Amino acid sequence: MKKLKMISLVLSAAFLFILSACGTSKTNGDGEKKTLRVVTDAAYAPLEYQDKGEIVGFDIDFIKAVAKEAGYKIKVEHVGWDPIFVEIKGKTADAAISSITIDSKRQQTYDFSIPYFLSKNEILVPKGSSIKSTKDLEGKKIAVQNGTTGQEVVEKLFGENNDKLKKFENNNLAILELKKGGVDAVVADNTVIETYVKNNPNDNLDFIEDDATFNKEFYGILLPKGSKLKAELDKAVNKVLDNGTYEKLYEKWFKTKPDIKILKDQQK
Amino acid sequence: MDFRWDIIAEYAPFFLKGTLLTIGLSVASILIGTVLGLFIGLGKMMRNKLYALPFKWYINFFRGTPLMVQILLVHFAVVPSFLGTTNAIFAAIVALSLNSAAYVAEIFRAGIQSIDRGQMEAARSLGMTHGQAMRNVILPQAFKRMIPPLGNEFIVLIKDSSLAALIAAPELMYWGRAMQGQYMRPWEPYLTAAVIYLVLTLSLSFLLNRLERRLATE
Repeated sequence: MKKLKMISLVLSAAFLFILSACGTSKTNGDGEKKTLRVVTDAAYAPLEYQDKGEIVGFDIDFIKAVAKEAGYKIKVEHVGWDPIFVEIKGKTADAAISSITIDSKRQQTYDFSIPYFLSKNEILVPKGSSIKSTKDLEGKKIAVQNGTTGQEVVEKLFGENNDKLKKFENNNLAILELKKGGVDAVVADNTVIETYVKNNPNDNLDFIEDDATFNKEFYGILLPKGSKLKAELDKAVNKVLDNGTYEKLYEKWFKTKPDIKILKDQQK
Repeated sequence: MDFRWDIIAEYAPFFLKGTLLTIGLSVASILIGTVLGLFIGLGKMMRNKLYALPFKWYINFFRGTPLMVQILLVHFAVVPSFLGTTNAIFAAIVALSLNSAAYVAEIFRAGIQSIDRGQMEAARSLGMTHGQAMRNVILPQAFKRMIPPLGNEFIVLIKDSSLAALIAAPELMYWGRAMQGQYMRPWEPYLTAAVIYLVLTLSLSFLLNRLERRLATE
């Protein structure tokens, strides 16, 4: 009996400790800026992924630079794609950065920072495939990552929730499905597809650009609706764009120069 | 909290389609898993330790590794090596059946071993063979005791079938996730899916309750 009491005491103490630990990260008293909790889905190399357990990538370096400009400390946490939206909607996280495209549907429920990244979709096919443009995708089986703009553009072309479209948990599974012959093509962001092709030359995959069909997309930092952070972060994003930090980071991760002007034009 | 019923209505046909496939996946896996489980359970009880070993390790493997990994393995490795291409629905049924067979095997073993030893001895002394005694005396009694744990296992299986969404089998959770992906709203799709799963599992436990009552001897 005594033992049981002891155990329950320890358990409740542990529980209280966890609860109080949750509390401390929220507020940090007067004047001093609090630590922001930033969530991400670290399965999107090279924008955000895990390197031996550490979350790294262009987005991560970028948000750190932005936070530094704005005078915040941040803690980046990998929570997965779907939970990002639960966390931001429930305001349990302050911001999310995860290659999230700014679009009007999402803006109904969330706020975004000003755009910080330009992206477009591309088609990934086996080398020598008969698919040369989006037109050739008609009637073909296509894999996408669920909830991405790649899915949106395919659905716009060939009908919402059509039978030929397979939605996967992430791009790795979609690409695996392509390699195993379950689909004829994968539609995803250019950075992801090109990095995959570059890193896996033995897979004999090829990427197809189609700027006529695929719109330019802009990524933003996802914030809760009405977030007070928006003004501060927007200012910091502009600083990072202007002072050369952005270019340095972009070259580090993508080995090419960014088109900063197009991002600036979007702000109008 | 705002709750948008209109998008649920919009996705209702997909939820219906998904529910039907979830029922299909579950029923097929329950049937195959139960039959397979019976044989594996009997196999594990064989007196010859060497013969029993593969059955023992079957159970160890399928009970001891995550179902998610089993589904991915079956979908991306096992099925393509037979069919030459992937087939999500087929892979889901195979993975769920193989997995539930391991649990069902243990349920069968527990049921059979819970019957008093004297029953077998009495049947044998009446001149029945071991097989006859098993079929006519032991199994009917054991089956009655297996219903509650089997019901447990079937309910778990219905909910585990949601893991098939990972490999894009268009079942209930797949459409829930698809809807979430489109509207970036978590609660409408997932709560709807949860309610449907609850209805499915409640119906199953109702059926099992009736079966139990019909088989009651007291």
